[in-house]
Amino acid sequence: MSQGRGARSVLKPADIAHGSGQLTALDPQKLIPLPAPYDDLASLPRHKAPDPQKVDISLDGFSALGFASPQTAEEENDLIDAFIAGLKKLLDSDNNWTFLRQLRLSLDQCARCQTCVEACPIYEASGHDEVYRPTFRSEVFRRVVKQYAQPGGEALAWLQGETVELNITTLARLLESAYRCTLCRRCAQVCPMGLDNALLTRELRKLFSMELGVAPKELHEKGSMVQLRTGSSTGMNKRAVRDNIEFLDDEIGDQTGPVIKTPWDKEGADVLLIHNAGEILGWPENPMAFAIILEAAGISWTMSSDLAGYDSVNYGLWYDDVQFARVAVRQAEAARKLKVKRIVLGECGHGHKASMVTADRLLAGDGNIPRESALVLLRDIVRSGRLKLDPARNDFPVTLHDPCNMVRMMGIVEPQREILRAICPQFREMTPQGVNNYCCGGGSGFAIMSGHNFEDWRFLVSGRKKLKQVLDAFADCPGPERKKYVCAPCSNCKGQIRDLFRYYGVWEKSAILYGGLAELIVNAMVAVKEPFIKWEFH
Amino acid sequence: MLILLSLFVALLIFILGNAARVIRYVRLPLPLRWELYPIPKGPRERQSYGGSYFEDSEGWNQRPEKDRLGQLKFAAKEVLLLGTVRDNLRPLWAWSLLLHWGLYLCAVALVIGEVSRVANSFRLIDLAVITHAIGCLLGLIGSVGTLAVRLTHSRLRNDTGRITIFNLLLLGGIFATGLLSFERLAFGRYFLAMFLRGFPAAAISLQLPLAITLHLCLVAFFLAYFPFTHMTHAYMKFFSWHGVRWDDRPAVHDSRASRSLAVSVKRRVTWSAPHIAGEQAASWAEVVADVAGKGGAKRA
Repeated sequence: MSQGRGARSVLKPADIAHGSGQLTALDPQKLIPLPAPYDDLASLPRHKAPDPQKVDISLDGFSALGFASPQTAEEENDLIDAFIAGLKKLLDSDNNWTFLRQLRLSLDQCARCQTCVEACPIYEASGHDEVYRPTFRSEVFRRVVKQYAQPGGEALAWLQGETVELNITTLARLLESAYRCTLCRRCAQVCPMGLDNALLTRELRKLFSMELGVAPKELHEKGSMVQLRTGSSTGMNKRAVRDNIEFLDDEIGDQTGPVIKTPWDKEGADVLLIHNAGEILGWPENPMAFAIILEAAGISWTMSSDLAGYDSVNYGLWYDDVQFARVAVRQAEAARKLKVKRIVLGECGHGHKASMVTADRLLAGDGNIPRESALVLLRDIVRSGRLKLDPARNDFPVTLHDPCNMVRMMGIVEPQREILRAICPQFREMTPQGVNNYCCGGGSGFAIMSGHNFEDWRFLVSGRKKLKQVLDAFADCPGPERKKYVCAPCSNCKGQIRDLFRYYGVWEKSAILYGGLAELIVNAMVAVKEPFIKWEFH
Repeated sequence: MLILLSLFVALLIFILGNAARVIRYVRLPLPLRWELYPIPKGPRERQSYGGSYFEDSEGWNQRPEKDRLGQLKFAAKEVLLLGTVRDNLRPLWAWSLLLHWGLYLCAVALVIGEVSRVANSFRLIDLAVITHAIGCLLGLIGSVGTLAVRLTHSRLRNDTGRITIFNLLLLGGIFATGLLSFERLAFGRYFLAMFLRGFPAAAISLQLPLAITLHLCLVAFFLAYFPFTHMTHAYMKFFSWHGVRWDDRPAVHDSRASRSLAVSVKRRVTWSAPHIAGEQAASWAEVVADVAGKGGAKRA
């Protein structure tokens, strides 16, 4: 089996259909370099690649979905027919009213100018591997749509020399390719036409999920389906979440002094706080910090135990419009039942965007309950002086990661910075920062996806640029003798940074911890006697 | 006569084709929001870092910001200077800029020509001819340079297909024949004067030089061909900027949103995946209301 293109350096979109081996193979020598001691790639652990006879790895040797090619020609043809049917549904106002306008623009108007490609952290980190060029995937998709889903498309494609054979190899590689983009939309920022490769990637994911029923199990089967059934993608039902929060309330009493009882289902509260429920299990210090701050600031708040009312996760944002709408509507319904004045989204980037932006036009009328970012509420609380804060308690180097969904896609840039400037004397920015910052590498669901050997790709390629940024931000104090903190106010980003740091041994080698924003505020609170940040990597 | 007729038909196709494209787009349903920051509107201090009304407490109560000046500035930088290409793909930028300015100047020449007809001014006709010639010169250099970069630059050559090459050759041909026509300035001046003042009888009786004939033929082809190409980005980018990237209007302040939603929730869903498909076609409202997320089995 071929292990990549080897000497063949020029990859054309039509090549996606050809060859029985991998379209590319990751070349570690070409990855962007990291500073010492992170420059030794040989010592990094690698997963065993799955058996290509059982799992398709024909794109790049990695598998995010565990897709197995059909065994018979009949099954293959059925899949291809379903794919073509899906293409046509994407172009149909009834099935795709949600994004058809954006899709049409990005399909029709691209000038192939490649202005966007250097903006992609994955393409750059990979050492400019053509398979990861954001326009490679888009161009294949564009050609397939033209050739197979539009009247006269076949003849036109032939005339223009833009044919792509649609076989099972094309399908399998396109499927995996749709999960080699974090949907960070940096490329869209620089497109002179205002077009969007990430949107095309998401439409491709939608087609596979909504027509063929193929999606990463972590997002669908164990994600949105579990959330719709139990109330949370973590599988926590109403009782479990209340038990867990009660336990955290006790922990607050033990650790910090004040006794707090998280209010549940309080009608008419000012604020319905919805966390990413993963925080409660993975980073309990974050919901604890919120409870301490809201109580100390005298905010009228509540949590909801209604279905989806205690989990801001909405994985449909990344792969499926129906799943997206189902969750968004239920979250709004939970707030409406409690007659709260507003929903405040906790530190979850995609939860922010899903609820406040993408679902906005789905929630017309009563469902359109005001939604606000926790970063804004925290900024207002800090600004108000209701908490007595001592910045000296946060006197260690701190840098800030900008979650794409909150920052590039919502323009929430300053509130978190205003807080950090006020309470962290050694705060320093990454480069670039704000709306131009790089994705953590775990965007669009990657942070929770492991696939077969997908994690290797996630750490070696998609997270590499972020790791370099973090290390560069602390270049003046690189060693483990000085503790440092990456503030990442987003659950998925934290998940990716945790896994990335663990993979490269960042805590041991550089003593860089990661965590949320609320934790830094509580750490600075004079009323909290013990340091809230424990400097333990988990 | 045949050339003038071709030009007329081509112009008709140009107008109708572009109108159809715009109408087809505008008639698509209002989509979900998909904005991207920075959005060039709102207070200047916020524009400088790409902030939005989401940064404000009770931001949902604010009326959407309407800073046309900010958007115009951005558009002017993009249209006149190709700002993002300059910042991100410098090797292509200068050539592409020349190509675009060539087209702009040719369009300006047309407008000046029309004004000269109304104003009955030979000076303006001269200005139109010279503007056209400068446009053709810049455009020719730009199209040849763009083609050369596209065929040789490592980042561009893989995606420079037959159609891109054809388009650039077509534009190059138009500019080249336009320049050759300029050599016949005296004739061009006379022809234009006839054409513009005594349209069409006096002009069409003239025997056109080959370069002008070729130029007009290529222009006619270009006009008829343009609406069916990606070159419509010249105006469609208005929709991708205003309608998508910068459309941050909150639904509570956007009457289109509730009207459109009322229609869209009744649309039929025929996606076939098991978690959506039912035993019969269902509306979006029914599919979304399916609590278990198991598709039509629950709805039937």
